[in-house]
Amino acid sequence: MADEIRAEMVANVWKIVKAVGDEVEDGDTLVILESMKMEIPVITESDGVIAKIAVNEGDVVQEGDLIAVIE
Amino acid sequence: MTLTTPAGAQTEAPDFRDPQVRLRNLFDAGTLRLLAAADTSGVLAGRGEIDGTPVIAYCTDATKMGGAMGVEGCRHIVDAIDAAVRERVPVVGLWHCGGARLNEGVTALDAVGQVFAAMVRASGRVPQISVVLGPAAGGAAYGPALTDIVIMSDQGRIFVTGPEVVRSVTGEQVDMERLGGPEPHGRRSGVVHVTTKDEAGALEKARQVAALLGRQGRISPADAAQTTDLGALLPEQTNRAYDVKPLIKGLLDEPGVELHAKWAPNVVTTLGRFAGRTVGVIANNPMRLGGCLDASSAEKAARFVRMCDSLGVPLIVLVDVPGYLPGLGQEWDGVVRRGAKLLHAFAEAVVPRVTLVTRKAFGGAYIAMNSRSLGATAVFAWPNVEIAVMGAPAAVNILHRKTLAATPAAERDAKRAELIEEQIRVAGGVNRALEIGVVDEVVEPSDTRRRIAEALAGAPAARGAHGNIPL
Repeated sequence: MADEIRAEMVANVWKIVKAVGDEVEDGDTLVILESMKMEIPVITESDGVIAKIAVNEGDVVQEGDLIAVIE
Repeated sequence: MTLTTPAGAQTEAPDFRDPQVRLRNLFDAGTLRLLAAADTSGVLAGRGEIDGTPVIAYCTDATKMGGAMGVEGCRHIVDAIDAAVRERVPVVGLWHCGGARLNEGVTALDAVGQVFAAMVRASGRVPQISVVLGPAAGGAAYGPALTDIVIMSDQGRIFVTGPEVVRSVTGEQVDMERLGGPEPHGRRSGVVHVTTKDEAGALEKARQVAALLGRQGRISPADAAQTTDLGALLPEQTNRAYDVKPLIKGLLDEPGVELHAKWAPNVVTTLGRFAGRTVGVIANNPMRLGGCLDASSAEKAARFVRMCDSLGVPLIVLVDVPGYLPGLGQEWDGVVRRGAKLLHAFAEAVVPRVTLVTRKAFGGAYIAMNSRSLGATAVFAWPNVEIAVMGAPAAVNILHRKTLAATPAAERDAKRAELIEEQIRVAGGVNRALEIGVVDEVVEPSDTRRRIAEALAGAPAARGAHGNIPL
């Protein structure tokens, strides 16, 4: 089952930590966003393999934008 | 009072929906005593013990007409709630119920309304816990929703109108789980405080919460020895987000029960024991939304504060907040109206309530997080915290815009750094906060448990004289 991870708030994509094909588990950081002058890790709540990273470093994401897909 | 063990031994495996089985699973072994003999009303109520603490419970009988509520069944629930109020013990409701009994017509609706009225009478006087173990539809949805804490098993469903009605009225295709299962209510609606993977887990959580609220204990500063290095749980970089839950765990005697874990997760609300006594912990979680307060999290925290205040549970408030979340969505979502609930809840609370600023507290969110001005019992801060109207870089950009513009571009960054340092010193540093009295004392992370315990123990025990409206 695919699990879509979406942005919780407007932010800049500061760093991509994981890559497509990486195995991840609950609590792992996928991407680090920058917002409210804070570095905010985007974490997965499910175990699986990253099927897609939908953002690039430097992008601006809006609330609800797709960041990654875990399968 | 009726003994639960029937004269004849049971021959078949009991139906798990049998209310007597469910009540027995809730209480300590051998302690269940029925309030009235089992009948065809669709409700069974009894008293018993949970970890040795007296508790009253009622359970809808899903083996009879899907657990639908009629006049007689509702009367049992009202009696159970009234008895709990008289005896000042927690009351637990186990729900698996299709709503009001159709064949009883409006008299059944009237009876369900009387259950609601009894719940509101008891609100803030005794802890009311609901465990939803199957569908709880229509009137049965609002029963749990009126109580203090709602726990839902994997099979629990809460909705006003079922999938059939939704389909016939709006044409929307939706199943019971998506309409009112643990996922929508745990994450989206905020109706459910705790979700569990099975029925046994749900009853276990209910036991934990009933014991915490039913036998609150006393703070004993001597029991506040600290084993966890709390300071080490923060990242070295001050602008890096982190999960606050290990900090809460390290602060409490043992892991507590987190409420609304997935809904509005930028604020964490946990019931647990601290130095031997039940407390409520409210904490910003920088890992989610950077720890900003927003409309939902302010409302979640406000309800938790009011519940704890009405039940006499002292509060510990862990603050690391960059501000209120800005934006159109928030304003339209009622961040002003819903944020005001948190200000109101803290300002009216009379239970002892201690604030600890761990890293920063900015702006309106600083005020809302149990600040000195809202009547905190004590405000502690770890060394090097920043308390200000806004972060120093943002403040400098506004206050010194002209100076910075007049500075040659090559020197501008150095000038800005200098101004930021000065801004922190004069306006945002902890020393300034101590001077003006909005922070009482700087405490070392290693001494945190002891100081909080002393502050809570030194405050007069009190309890808010109000109900716990489900905000």
